[in-house]
Amino acid sequence: MSLQIWIDGLFVGSVFAIIALSMTIVYQPTRIMNFAQGEGFILGAALGYQMMGVWKWPLIQSLVALVIAAALMGFIMERMVMLPVQLSGSKFAWIIATLAAAMIFQSAFNIKYVNVTFSYFDIIEKDISIFGAKLSIQKLIVILMMIAVFIINDQFLKRTLWGRSIRAIAHNPDTSTILGIPTKPVIKLAFIAGTVIIALVGFLASPVIIVAPAAGLFFTIQGFTAAIIGGVGSPKGAVVGGLMIGILDSVVRSWLGGTWGLFSTFFVLAAILILKPNGFFGKRVEGR
Amino acid sequence: MISTFKGLNRVFITASVLAVALLYLFPVLVKSSNNPSFYLQVVSVAVCSAILTISLNICMGYGGLLSLMHTGLQMVGGYSIAILAVKQGWNGWLALVAAAVIGAIFAILVILISLRATYLYFGMITLAVNLIAMEAVRHGGEFTGGYNGLFGVFAPGIPNGMMSAEGFYRVMITILILAYIVQRNLIFSGFGRNTMALRESSETATALGISPNMHRVKVFGVSGALAGLAGALLSIQIGYAIADIGDLNNGLIFFVGLFLGGVGTLAGPVLGVALVAIIDFLIRGTGQYRTLVLGSILLLTMIVLPRGIVGTYRASRYGSPRSREVMPGEADNFHLDIDVKNVTKGQVLFEAHDVVKHFGGVHAVDGISVQFKAGEVHGIIGPNGSGKSTLISAMTRYHELTSGRVTLLGAEADKKPFKVARDGVTRVFQIPHLFERVSVLDNVLTGMYRRDKYSIFDAIFRTPRYLKANSRSVAESKALLSLAGMLGMEELAAGSISHGQKRLLEVIRAVATEPKILILDEPATGLTQDEMHSLTSLIRTLAAGGMCVVLIEHNVAFLMDLADIVTVIQSGKVIAEGTPKEVQKNERVLEAYLGNTDFSKELA
Repeated sequence: MSLQIWIDGLFVGSVFAIIALSMTIVYQPTRIMNFAQGEGFILGAALGYQMMGVWKWPLIQSLVALVIAAALMGFIMERMVMLPVQLSGSKFAWIIATLAAAMIFQSAFNIKYVNVTFSYFDIIEKDISIFGAKLSIQKLIVILMMIAVFIINDQFLKRTLWGRSIRAIAHNPDTSTILGIPTKPVIKLAFIAGTVIIALVGFLASPVIIVAPAAGLFFTIQGFTAAIIGGVGSPKGAVVGGLMIGILDSVVRSWLGGTWGLFSTFFVLAAILILKPNGFFGKRVEGR
Repeated sequence: MISTFKGLNRVFITASVLAVALLYLFPVLVKSSNNPSFYLQVVSVAVCSAILTISLNICMGYGGLLSLMHTGLQMVGGYSIAILAVKQGWNGWLALVAAAVIGAIFAILVILISLRATYLYFGMITLAVNLIAMEAVRHGGEFTGGYNGLFGVFAPGIPNGMMSAEGFYRVMITILILAYIVQRNLIFSGFGRNTMALRESSETATALGISPNMHRVKVFGVSGALAGLAGALLSIQIGYAIADIGDLNNGLIFFVGLFLGGVGTLAGPVLGVALVAIIDFLIRGTGQYRTLVLGSILLLTMIVLPRGIVGTYRASRYGSPRSREVMPGEADNFHLDIDVKNVTKGQVLFEAHDVVKHFGGVHAVDGISVQFKAGEVHGIIGPNGSGKSTLISAMTRYHELTSGRVTLLGAEADKKPFKVARDGVTRVFQIPHLFERVSVLDNVLTGMYRRDKYSIFDAIFRTPRYLKANSRSVAESKALLSLAGMLGMEELAAGSISHGQKRLLEVIRAVATEPKILILDEPATGLTQDEMHSLTSLIRTLAAGGMCVVLIEHNVAFLMDLADIVTVIQSGKVIAEGTPKEVQKNERVLEAYLGNTDFSKELA
């Protein structure tokens, strides 16, 4: 098996890992697996196409605008999801609310972009060669971003007051509120940070992988799969799960052909859920 | 107030009769319009959605099982009828039944492989299964028609010729009504009570002897059958079966309908889907805006009407049940036989032999042997953290033993907690564990389900066997309630009664399981003086009937007054055992509590 397949797998795996990490960031203070998370990915891809491809904006300007737009989306998403969840007593409120939010964003993208796939040119069109296998700088940036997000998130959770608040809220939101931890602002921050991160990876990855306006749910599901294989709520698990399904997908694709890639991913998911119901690094998740 | 409630109920009945009549007459009404078959199809597709939403309501609303594969089940139903009726040439009606059976089998297979998963992960498994099923169908070659799907699905004929669109439309309305009745009959039976018990607390349901796994399989199977049926009907309506039917996006309409109408209510799914269908009809032709509108309605509903229409009504003062007045002498109508069968007074029923339970380095129970005998009230006391509750959890198999043995009625106790419960040991937990959203009467009936020897089918079809068992259980439940002075409160939601009444109700529910050994963990906490008297006399009555009542208590006065024998535990070991008098004088007990002056004083 050629090295190229593994490098491609590493890249796709990094994309999935970042998506899963952004979901973990939202999950920690809220215990919500956000079905609308993938829409942030589409936002990044769409704005990349619009700003860099159509309007020909310079890179830095585009990036700044992207971060602002993504933060705004995260803010709106938090209201769309948390308001119904807080008001509704149903155990399933979160899933219905996030699903509805996903559908709303998805149809908004569908209305704006008819028959468009978001790909502009590579931001950095250059390849580096590793033992004869090619790795574009663009892909390398995504892989490095994955590592950076993991380390920053880890250090943030361990070393800052806000990070410790998030861990406290993850354990028990009611007690945290009583202790004076600002639960609601922390949740807002989590949604905003999660959306900015996933939008950035959408921006960076869309020139390489084909992204359609309606693909948000697909990326959400890939992120879920990665997070669940690794163990929901564990950043380490998100990275391991993401890389695992990325590499598996790439290897199976080259071995058995395109459609089997997706198949293998979900089979692995089902197998892991049956054998290790809490994923590799996850704790038992109890009701809500 | 009561008359308003009844008046509104009558309005509801009238409204539903009118709605059904309207649905049956609908083909006649639209006959003169420019496109009658279009209108018929719009309503027919809504009927399919309603049946599917009922199915979703059974597993999510009542069963608490998060399913993201109902669109997939719909697809499976569609392909079942396409393959069986069109390709294999089966009789259409037979194929329709087969679609329901295949839906049930598919659902049961999925839940069987995922029984270990907790609820979030279970939802994710169903999502993965949905995606796998869609991919499988797309790559199924000639068998499934690949990406193009299978065409030419038509309504089954009577007997073999094709049926008119109008005729089949009426068949569909009838199927919807039947689906509603199936839902209603199931929910009002022991099956439904157990389902809701599991939804609210798997632990408590287990303590009442309900097997959580077996029951979940049944619930999901019933839900799968209805979904398969709905899918087959949908494919008949649209004329084809295609993988895209399974797309999660198509599930939005079911979720919107379910939440708009009210999750976990009987009429909610049908009412919700009807409203969504009307809205959907009004915004037809807007194409891509459809999802946007539906999604926004869903979010708005959750914010404005978090419980949905029916749920909000039920929670309002018009729709919520209230306590009724008890007729003088009504309590005398109920006769109850609470004597424990096949035991002799003083016989050892439940016994721990040198039981050890360590949690890592913590020696919670460190070698305890204790005997619980028929007809005695057995008190267990000890300071906080002495291992009382752990001992009980270990004996009832909620914890695995580190070492030691537990025997029940002379034989080794079963390893599964719900089987221990079935064999006659019922626990009442320290914190009230009622099924709060269920009525007082249903709480007691849930405890009684082991006596009800009827199947799902008896419940659905209301067979004489079901009716007989049900009326007997209701009468016995009322008798038990009157024993605790709670007659007249049957219809109240268990969550709405006072703390003391909840504790009493919990004891009543435990007694309803006909236990030989009843274990009460701090039952007196937070009771008023009156409630305490009710509890004391209840416990005495039970013990006189041959039951062994085990009391774990901090309230020493209450315990010493009631218990025949007291076991004192400290640091996971028995330090004294005997009658209350003996224990009170025991030097080791006094010594152990030296320094704990309050306790020593109380004992002395």
